[in-house]
Order: sequence, then C-alpha cells, then structure tokens
Amino acid sequence: MLETTVVVIGGGATGMGTLRDLSMRGVPAILLEQGGIAHGTSSRYHGLLHSGARYVVNDPASAKECIEENMILRKIGKECVEVSEGFFVLTPQDDPSFVQPWLEGCKKAGISAEEVPIAKALELEPNLAPDIRACYRVPDSSVDGFRLVTHNRMSAEKYGGQAYNYHKVTAINVENGRVASVTARDMFTNETKEIRCRFVINASGSWAGEICALAGLNAQITPDRGTLIAFNHRFTSRIINRLHASADGDIFVPHGSITILGTTSVPTDRPDDTTAPYSEVAKLLELGRPLFPDVDSYRILRAFAGTRPLYTPGGASGRKATRNFSVVDHSADGLEGMVSIFGGKLTTYRLMAERVCDVVCGKLGVTAPCRTADEPMVEPTDPELLKNAEKYFPVHGLAVMANRLGDELPSVLKAAERMAEAAEKSDACNATHATDYCGNPLLCECEMVSLAEIERVARDPQIHSLKDIRLRTRLGMGTCQGAFCAVRTVGSLVEHGINLEYPPTESVAKFAQERWKGARPALWGIQAREMEFGRALYAGVLNLDGASHEQLN
Amino acid sequence: MSNSTDVIVIGSGLAGLMAAYAAAKNGAAVKVMSEGVGNLAISPGCIDLLGYDREGRRIDDPWAEIPNLPQEHPYSLIGEAAIRESLEELQAALEGQGLKLAPFRDSAGAAKNSLVPTIMGTFKPSWLVPAEMDNDQIQNAGKILILSIKGFRDCRPQMIRGQLLRYPGWANRDIATLVLPAPFDEHGRALNALDLAHFLDLPRGRDWLMNRIKGLGKKYDLVLMPPMLGARANSRIRSVVREELGCPYVEMLSVPPGVAGLRIRDALADMLVNMNVEFYENAKVIRSTLAGGKCGSITVHASGREFEQTAKTFVAATGGVIGGGVLLGQGTATEAVFGLEIPVPANVDEWSVPELFGNHLVSRLGVETDKSLRHKDLENVFFAGRTLGGYDYAAEKSGHGVACSTGWLAGKLAAGYAQGGN
Repeated sequence: MLETTVVVIGGGATGMGTLRDLSMRGVPAILLEQGGIAHGTSSRYHGLLHSGARYVVNDPASAKECIEENMILRKIGKECVEVSEGFFVLTPQDDPSFVQPWLEGCKKAGISAEEVPIAKALELEPNLAPDIRACYRVPDSSVDGFRLVTHNRMSAEKYGGQAYNYHKVTAINVENGRVASVTARDMFTNETKEIRCRFVINASGSWAGEICALAGLNAQITPDRGTLIAFNHRFTSRIINRLHASADGDIFVPHGSITILGTTSVPTDRPDDTTAPYSEVAKLLELGRPLFPDVDSYRILRAFAGTRPLYTPGGASGRKATRNFSVVDHSADGLEGMVSIFGGKLTTYRLMAERVCDVVCGKLGVTAPCRTADEPMVEPTDPELLKNAEKYFPVHGLAVMANRLGDELPSVLKAAERMAEAAEKSDACNATHATDYCGNPLLCECEMVSLAEIERVARDPQIHSLKDIRLRTRLGMGTCQGAFCAVRTVGSLVEHGINLEYPPTESVAKFAQERWKGARPALWGIQAREMEFGRALYAGVLNLDGASHEQLN
Repeated sequence: MSNSTDVIVIGSGLAGLMAAYAAAKNGAAVKVMSEGVGNLAISPGCIDLLGYDREGRRIDDPWAEIPNLPQEHPYSLIGEAAIRESLEELQAALEGQGLKLAPFRDSAGAAKNSLVPTIMGTFKPSWLVPAEMDNDQIQNAGKILILSIKGFRDCRPQMIRGQLLRYPGWANRDIATLVLPAPFDEHGRALNALDLAHFLDLPRGRDWLMNRIKGLGKKYDLVLMPPMLGARANSRIRSVVREELGCPYVEMLSVPPGVAGLRIRDALADMLVNMNVEFYENAKVIRSTLAGGKCGSITVHASGREFEQTAKTFVAATGGVIGGGVLLGQGTATEAVFGLEIPVPANVDEWSVPELFGNHLVSRLGVETDKSLRHKDLENVFFAGRTLGGYDYAAEKSGHGVACSTGWLAGKLAAGYAQGGN
C-alpha cells in the first residue's frame, strides 16, 4: 500500500498546479488522473490567457485576478505562452454605450486598454471586418493547455511530486469521520491501488461532484458544455474579442498555425460530454462572421467541446453561474481531511492551486510559503544547446519543439545526435554530405515532429497510445490530421522496440478514429476532401478496417 | 487552341483517361481538361474491382458479388458486360505500353482477387495485379524477405513482419528483414518511394540495386519491397530485377506516392497522345453554359487566362468529393462543373456516423444518374468515377474498378452521342 500526505484527484491545470505547489512547499503528494494528459476540461481549451478585460463590467474581482495571473504565467511558464495581445472590437451590431463602462472597468482593474485607430487595426489585422467601429488593445495572450499541464508536472516531479495517469479513483475511504485512504484502479493493468493519506484535494473539475459523492458528500456541479472550432489557418495574430457583454462565439484565439473560435454554453448532465454538434458549429460561424467576414472560407480542422465545471450551489446555470472558484473545506460537512476546489478558469489555475494549498497546509501545520509565482516551471533553454541542435533538427521546428519539451529538451537533443552519428557510421554509401536528417527524420511534417522527440516521449511509461504521443508533441494535429504520420510513427516505434498499448493496425485505426470525431461536425470544403483522403488511405489502400477483423491477437 | 471538339473530358484520373480512350477509340475528337492529376497518380497500381461486401466480409470472386449490389451502385447502373469490356480494354492498353496486369488464377484456372501485401503489414484484396504476382505463391511462401531502404520512413520491415505474422496461418512463417543503405542523400529531406523509383529508372540506379539483391533468390522464396521499381510503364528495372533476383517479388501497396499508379497514368497518357487526344493541364473549369437541357460550352481558367471551349458532349470525371467534383458546403452539396444540386440533409451531423469505417452518407454522395450515366437535366453530359456516388470505394475496395468501367462507358456513350446517336 502506498502512503503519502496528500492525494490530489484530477490532472488538469488545477490539479497539476496543486501538485506543484504542494511539492514546492515540501508536502509529499500523489496525483491521480483518470485519463491521459489533461484529460478533462484543460485539454479542451480555448487557450486564452485572459487580460481580464472580458470581466471588468460584470465580474471585476475576476478581472483583477486574471490580469495578475496573466502576468505571473508569462514569467513562470513562458514556454507555454504565445505572447501577443488582444483587441476588443466594436462591430456595428454592438451597443456603443457599452464602451465607456468597459473602459472604466479596465482602468479600475488595472488592465491597460489603449485605443487603436481603425485604419491601424485593419492594417495590423487585415482579415478583420472593414466596418468595425472601434478597437482597443489589451494584454491578452494565448496559452497551450497541454504544455501548461505538462510543465507543471515536470516542476512538481523535480520537487518529489508523483502523478499517475490512467488511474481512476474508485473509492475515498473514511474512518471515524476522517479521510484515511484513496482507492484507484490502474486502467491498463486493472490492478487496484490503495493510497493512505492525510488529505484529499478534489481538483477533478467537471467530475468534482462525482468525487464528492465517493466521499458521501453532495456537491452541486453542473457541467456546462462549450463548443470550440479550430481553423487550419492563423488568420489573426491577435486575440480578437467582441466589445460587448460576454456572449457566445465572441473570441478568436490564435495558436501557432491555427485559430480557435469559441464558445457556447449549454448545460449538460455528463462531465464527459465532449461531442460538438453541427448546430453549435453553425452558430459559432454566424457569431464570428461580424468580426471576420471570410470566416466561412477557412478550413475547420476540427470542432470539439469541453465541459466547464460550474459550481451551482443555488442552482444557477449557464452564463449567469459564476466563473469564480470556490475552495470548500468539507469539515464543514462533517468530513475531515478533504478539500474540494470547484469552478474556475484556466487563466487562474495557479491562484486556485495556491488557495487550496493554503487551506490544506494550514491544517497540516506546514508553514512554507507558496513560491509557484516566483519560479519558472522548467529550465530556460540553453541557446548554445539549441544552436548545436540545428545540425539534427529542422530549424523552424526547433524553437517550437524546445518550448514543448521543457526540461526534456537536453535528452532529446542528445538522442538526435546519437542517431545521426549511428546513421553516418552504418551507412555504407559514399554520401558527401553529413547525413543531417538520415538518423532523425521528421515523422510528422505538418507539425515538424522528429523521431528523436517521439521516441523519447514514447518511452515514458505513462505514454500508451498514439493519442498520448500526440498530446505531448502535436503529432497528427496539423493539416493531414494524422494521415501520414500515424503509420510512420508506429513503424518507427516498432523498429526501436517500443510497444504501444495496441498493435500497429489498431493503434493507427484508433488514432484515425479520434481525429474523425472532431471532423464530423464540420465535414465540408477542403476538410471533407482531406478526411475522405485519409479514409481512402487507411481503408482503401492499407485495408485497416478489413485487417482489424482478420488479424489475430 | 481551337475551341471546338466532339468530346471534352474533364478530369484526368483513371475515369477521365478511360473516357478519353473510349471516345477516341470510337472515332471522336477528344480534349482532356484537367486541374490536377487525380488519385491515380498517387495511388498503388492495382485495379480494385470489389474486395468486401456490405457486411464487411472479404470477397474472393467479385463477379459473384456484383449482382448483389444495390441498384444505385455504379456497377449496377452500367451492367456486368460494360465492366468486363472496360477491364479487358484497360489490360490490353497497358500491355501495349509494357505494363502487364492480370487477375490471379487459382489452380483450377478460376480468376480471383489477390491478397496484396501493404506497408502496414496487412493484405488488401485487388483484382488486376502485376501479372507475375501469384497469390497462392505468396500465401504459401516458405522463406520471405522484407526489404527496405535506410531513411525511407514509410516502409518499416520490422512492423510489416510483426503484422503479417498476425494473419491466420502466418504465425510461424519464416520472415527475415533487410534494410539496404541509402543510395543517395536527399540533402535533409527524407526519401520517398518516388525518389527511389526515379533513381532506379537510371542505369546507375539499376546497377546499384542489382549489386545488392544478387543472389537473394537463393535464400528466399519471396521478396517484399516498397513500390520503387521505376515510375514508367516500361521501366527496365522491373525486368532486370526479375532476372537478377532469382525469386518472385512483390511491391507492397503504400501511402502516396504510390508510384505504381503513375505507371498506369504514364501508359495511358502516352497512348492517348499518340491517338491525338489533346491534354490541357492546370486547367480549371470555372463556368459552363447550359441551355435547353444541354451544355454548350465550358470556360476554363488556364495559363492565367480564360478560354471558352465548346464540344458536342462532355464527360465529367471530376473526382467527386475527394477530387473537387462535388462541393460540400454547410448543409449543401453541389456538383462543381454544371452546378447541379445534390440533395443532402441540412444537418451536417447526418452526413456521417461516429465510426470512421462505418457507412457515411458523405462517402456515397454524388450525382444521381440513369444507366447512361446522365443526370436528368443534362442530355449531353456523362458522369464517371467518384462523382457518381452510390458506392463507398474505401470500404468495399472498388475505386479504380468503378473509375475504369464507368469512365470507359461514359466515353463510349459520349462519342456515340457526339456522332449523332442519342
């Protein structure tokens, strides 16, 4: 039986941020996450690092928190943040009388909101609708949810924290009105593990109600589903917000080569309700058109949905429910040793973690201060190392890869160097050039992911499938949506003696199936052609569908 | 260019090329207008006729299953005779250009689908395969070698080996693997099959390969390799390999560039040029003039200008959804050249099912025609290939078969119409 001081349930941003904070304060902790990386809401992100300007009128306290955390995250997680800025744009459809209170709200919250002349705005963002009435710039930025979770974890592990993916909590065991242990099932081996602990922190987001129920508590969590669209184009380099009272479909966020439009708000009864219906895609496009008139011409790479965990103790739902967070010490409900954190948003995850850790550490008598705002999560990239790596990696992809890998960068660079040397030695041909990429080819060309990176990630015992590799490296997230790279990757892994959970046929089929889910609600235009091409390749040429019935084991 | 002719074929994939061939053979003056090169150019070079039935069961004899197809299936529309004739014509045409494809014949002489190995280590049933390929020999081979080239990412012998061993009756096969050193360095870009094929079309390429495969036939009964033996219909490398290897070999089916499909394209295009068929490439049809139930002309954008082209008849072999011949919008579907509306549900969610390999409306979507491959609103336009819809080529493995047979019939009928028939 394992033993620790705190068990954290939920491996999204909040949970992982909590693990990091506890570990940095010297509190032994184990995190349990039922799925892969950021399985829950954190993986279904809009990716907006809020300046807070969106909340200044209706929720000024939230706005202030956002701008503070925004600045902190740029410092501690700069590899996760794509620094740009946001525009708040008044369209002809928007009520101009909203502008004044908004500007005042920004001022009060300490959020810089500087007017941008329309001609200048259109010069900076030429795809914006030419009939916009006003534009203000704010310090919004983009943040990568997967990377955020991964880097929090890397930092936590440096300080002794442990995290287990694919471990589903099945019981919270109470003795004499106190939490005594947590039982979890390893989803791959089916083995159950019991972990003795003094405290449980319930950071399970949309599942928080279910986890509470395991402890005999009743918590009102209303999962609320939001649909997002990822376009295969970076048609804006800035976050573009509608300057109006917060509503659906009013924010465009660029991430690398894509743009994400969101979102909607529909109450649901399942925390894992992640299917985006066409009706919501159509709605989002309609809502987005006033900002970008050509929005219908951009290829939609995928439509996806996530549930926000709305804490509704009074029963309020949808947009009226608070996006604030609540830290609830369940000793108030008669249970010692369990604290839940409900609600919140990605931008303020660190603050949420700090607050819940303050409560728990207070009870544990741990006085070490919270330092999560002070220290970067991963080591900064050594420019010398990166310069050397140009021999083995395509230069454009190198910086992107360096940000992804964080602390794992040096070992991947070493691996690539070894591969190149081995290739050069064993190659009997009389090549006059150094076999630059012979040893470390790109497996995913759309996202520039090389063999060295994939191999390193795949060797992590918590990586079981192509999907897990995708979440760490962006394999298969680009233009071809895995049509070419899935087969290549599985082939390379076999050659390197790395086995995935499923054999090659099933690994590729499952990967393709997952990509398909996001394509279905937007199956038109170039996207429809690309999807048919992928299916023609997998079924028509490689016969994965036939083989999955005909191959044994 | 002069702007009038008998038959304009739009699209130069397999359907378009077969249509042009049929029309030209039947005495019509033919022009081919093509924006791209179609799936043929990137596909493997086997002709799938019918590989799986609607229940997902593998078919050995396509002819036994074809009569069971639903009436909207292109094979049902055109009838068995047209399919047989088109395949014979294709085989003869290719053989004339040095490329011999044939169906496998079992010990009793019955023609059957072959199970062709792929670079995923799976088998795919296909009808017309390289004539020297022997399905029985493959399925019963004693010692097998899987060959690849260093740096060629898309052919990984270890994976192929492990996957082949998963098939019933294969668990104890003796399968070895060999990776040859790369013959050249692509200056930072990874090798693909087309690079190798072009190299092996050169004399020094042939020498390079011969030195490395000499004598392998003494140790192995069968060699599987990636599709790299030349990009031309009559590439010398293939006959040289046959002589020097000393045992049967199979080029596996692969991801694009499939290479072997290029050989078919090469053969047909050469032949058509010699028949005075005019080809216009990078030519996109942007308008059509329709009046009185007929198409009078199309306007093509090519070389930075617009050209209006008149013809007595047209063949639209435009590739359907995948080729851009059918345009899908948000709850709409339109045939791309003549603007014919194709009824679809307004709710896009109904266009597909959750299972990727399931039965999707969108996979079967195309222009509805009668048995003469014509839409009810246009009497001088004949549709062929994927633009027809009514079948799921990826699931049933019938892509090139439908393209070949409907293209052939469309061209024949178009020529007949142009010459005064109806």
